[in-house]
Amino acid sequence: MLEGKQNGHVFKLPKVILLAKNITNVELEKAKAAGFADTVIMKPMRASMAAACLQQVLGIGKKRQAGKDMLNGSPVLQGLLCGKKILVVDDNMAHQRVFAGALKKFGAAVECRESGKAALKLLQLPCCFYACFMDIQMPEMDGFEATHPIRMMESKANEQMNGGMDEDSGRKGEWHVPILAMTADVIHATYDECLKCRMDGCVEAL
Amino acid sequence: MERNPIRRQLAIMRQSLFDQGHVDEQFVQLEELQDDANPNFVEEVVTLYYRDSARIILNIEQALERKPFDFGKLDAYMHQFKGSSSSIGAKKVKAESTLFRECCKSGNGEGCMRSFQQLKKEYATLRKKFGAYFQLARQAGPVETASRPK
Repeated sequence: MLEGKQNGHVFKLPKVILLAKNITNVELEKAKAAGFADTVIMKPMRASMAAACLQQVLGIGKKRQAGKDMLNGSPVLQGLLCGKKILVVDDNMAHQRVFAGALKKFGAAVECRESGKAALKLLQLPCCFYACFMDIQMPEMDGFEATHPIRMMESKANEQMNGGMDEDSGRKGEWHVPILAMTADVIHATYDECLKCRMDGCVEAL
Repeated sequence: MERNPIRRQLAIMRQSLFDQGHVDEQFVQLEELQDDANPNFVEEVVTLYYRDSARIILNIEQALERKPFDFGKLDAYMHQFKGSSSSIGAKKVKAESTLFRECCKSGNGEGCMRSFQQLKKEYATLRKKFGAYFQLARQAGPVETASRPK
């Protein structure tokens, strides 16, 4: 299990996952080709799906299984999320509550925020979140806009830590909080946007 | 089969929500999240939904008063509304949202108006049903587990 350390030496987890809807096969293939998303999760978000997506995106263990509820209560997923700090950012309160509730059932410690701005405050470095699920369609500041400054911050911190390329290559420190984006329209979302702001994956929303 | 008549009535009400197509599988997900620590979870989430979505409906109504229609905006609002509705498993409402969005995409103003009227009807009907259901649920007291519709 990949773990991030809290003492300033990094997550090696470059993952922001987009939660999206109506993904077409073309879009999905594009995403995969871009090394962007291996998996698509249906929204409304089910914790089992989210955990499976996260798992896949983190490169841990098994492949995502087909079928909606096969992963419910799976011990592997329980292990993945148990005790982990997850941030859920969604301006849709009902959905936020459902998703957070589901993650909590898997043992995650969930924080919720309703806006990108509020989320940014929590995602300042050093970041203690294992992953962040972010709605990319929020007023004021959407998921893309929120992810961008986070990545900027991380790049800066990483540069400072690594002091360039000639550091010993064994331990390249890398801040990168997994941000998984949620949206209902992959078509609108476009993988270009995702790539641009360095989000880590696509999750499909109903 | 529930011996307690209130619980029996509640079970029947619940089943009819599914049978009549008002709610779908997602609603079961909500029920599964209800437990001792969150004994009123379903009602809370549904209440949040009606609060959130009331605002969106108002936005759509106002947008429909402005001619010519801004289909992009209407679609965006409905997209939000649909997402909200699907998170509680509001099946008919969700279906109507989809129709509305299709009308937006094809620039069909008349279709949008009609669809929106229908949507509001379904939305109101569901609200009434939920109202009665939760009222009864409160009378029945805590139930042990959620069961899947047969």
